[in-house]
Amino acid sequence: MSRKTRRWMFHIFLCLGIIYLKMGGFSTVLALGASIICNKIPGLAPRQRIICQSRPDAIIVIGEGAQMGINECQFQFKHGRWNCSALGERTVFGKELKVGSKEAAFMYAIIAAGVAHAITSACTRGNLSECSCDKDKQGFYAHDNGWKWGGCSADVRYGLGFSKVFMDAKEIKHSARTLMNLHNNEVGRKVLERNMRLECKCHGVSGSCATRTCWTTLPKFRELGYILKDKYTSAIHVEPVKATRHKRPTFLKIKKPYSYRKPMDTDLVYIEKSPNYCEADLRSGSIGTQGRVCNKTLMHHPNGCDLMCCGRGYNTHQYSRVWQCNCKFFWCCYVKCNTCSERTEVYTCK
Amino acid sequence: MKSLASLSLWRIIILILPLVSLGQTFEYGWPDNYDKPPQCVDIPVDLRLCQGVGYHQMLLPNLLEHESMAEVKQQAGSWVPLLHKNCDPGTQLLLCSLFAPVCMERPIYPCRRLCENVRDGCSPIMAAFGFPWPHILTCDKFPQDDMCINTPNDTSTSEPNGHPPVCPPCDNEMKMDVILDHMCASEFAIKTKIQEVKRENMDRKVTLQKKKRTIKMGTLKKKDLKKLTLYLKNGADCPCTQLDNTRNTYLIMGRKVDKQYLLTGIHKWDKSNREFKKTMKKLKSHKCPAYENVFK
Repeated sequence: MSRKTRRWMFHIFLCLGIIYLKMGGFSTVLALGASIICNKIPGLAPRQRIICQSRPDAIIVIGEGAQMGINECQFQFKHGRWNCSALGERTVFGKELKVGSKEAAFMYAIIAAGVAHAITSACTRGNLSECSCDKDKQGFYAHDNGWKWGGCSADVRYGLGFSKVFMDAKEIKHSARTLMNLHNNEVGRKVLERNMRLECKCHGVSGSCATRTCWTTLPKFRELGYILKDKYTSAIHVEPVKATRHKRPTFLKIKKPYSYRKPMDTDLVYIEKSPNYCEADLRSGSIGTQGRVCNKTLMHHPNGCDLMCCGRGYNTHQYSRVWQCNCKFFWCCYVKCNTCSERTEVYTCK
Repeated sequence: MKSLASLSLWRIIILILPLVSLGQTFEYGWPDNYDKPPQCVDIPVDLRLCQGVGYHQMLLPNLLEHESMAEVKQQAGSWVPLLHKNCDPGTQLLLCSLFAPVCMERPIYPCRRLCENVRDGCSPIMAAFGFPWPHILTCDKFPQDDMCINTPNDTSTSEPNGHPPVCPPCDNEMKMDVILDHMCASEFAIKTKIQEVKRENMDRKVTLQKKKRTIKMGTLKKKDLKKLTLYLKNGADCPCTQLDNTRNTYLIMGRKVDKQYLLTGIHKWDKSNREFKKTMKKLKSHKCPAYENVFK
């Protein structure tokens, strides 16, 4: 219930915010307002603040996209010791994992993908002023395939470009960590770009497929989460390379003796090994596993109590689980359900 | 002026700042609808497929991914002629549960049994008009539990109704709405007399007289019109009083499927019939729904 209230309030604020931002009559107030708003958003880099001031309509969408990335991160890692939860406590722009770990690599990639996804989606809905549907795909007939471009094809190139300009604006120092972040941001965007889908609609007479219209559409963000999670599992350990005349790193190479191979542009990369995430450590984004729910019956599994609790043991709590079951739809129109309950136990790490 | 500006300024600040700070849970409740959540809208009066279905509000976008009401109306329009055939009591319920789904917190799909009953009852009639059972109505994807829409009194499990054979293109009511719906569902319509009717495999071959008047040209070409031969699909033995009487003038509708012209409707050109006369007058101003206006 409280979650619904928060979401409702969020949507109200969002709608009102958009209304205010799009009021043409308050152009002077808007300019001043945007400047003050952008200065007050914590975690924005100076270049990002400039982008925010010039595109106040996009900053809301960027916030949504970054939040979507964080939510997906928390979903993908919900069974691990590191579960992305420290990030959710701060603003969506204030994220900074000090340790250049595999987890940081995933986080940067998923947020860059989230921003690109949200911008592209907003373009499709007509919520942003400088972009709309992909105009290259409008009305052309693809003879070989037997269908026709139509509808509103998502202009993913705009979303990717915007995400690149905004997210990479933060990485201005020349350091190994910066190179890592830029690389992983690009991986996230590439995953989105390569997973765009073709969606078709049969609109012939009586629903036949004699007439079909197709358009490109965004993949579900969860798909991207799974893909990036796989890349996280096979992330590449890299190290910086310094050219002779410069003291700053110029590119990253795979960390192996006598090897100068560069990582693939579709591989997530990290420069530091991950900590064990057993104890709280703000630098690595770890809140520790104390109090985390675990599964007693699973052995050698990330969610099992032996691994999750780092050998500290677990506490047992008993409670009754209640849920709606045997739901039935009645004409017309309501749904009636029974209430089921069972006694169950939950285990939390000591 | 300044106080008004500063007041609006603070309202903007107050409204905007929480946006980027609020932690939100991303909901995956509605499949393939990350763009806009479905909304409850009244079923419009001119969505004739779903008038009298038993509820008054529907979800938009619907369960067939039609995103605008214009699209819903256009796509639903081609199903209205099937409704007139009364091939199954659950036809309207099945179609409207997808075209105009009931407003609930989550989508309620038609039951698989309802879909299978309608499919088994109606697909022979659709086949007579050259339409296969469409992919969008594939029954396998619908649920089998209790959280779905079934015919309200679903006590007749599998009653083998020995209904007499019917010629769908011939079994038409002399009613303006029915004729106009069939006119829109057909590609062409002509006024002519029948020259010869012959049986050919499972179909009946109808040869028309040379003298013809075009009511609706459609995709038909003039050279094809001259030697037009129509087929009554799967109608070798079904009763059709119109084809038995070659002395009358008929309003004949059809459409082209592959290289064959199928008969989709035949009405006696009866000027003494008031309903027919009214229909012919209405026909001049009647406009069929055009999909081009919906999908740019």
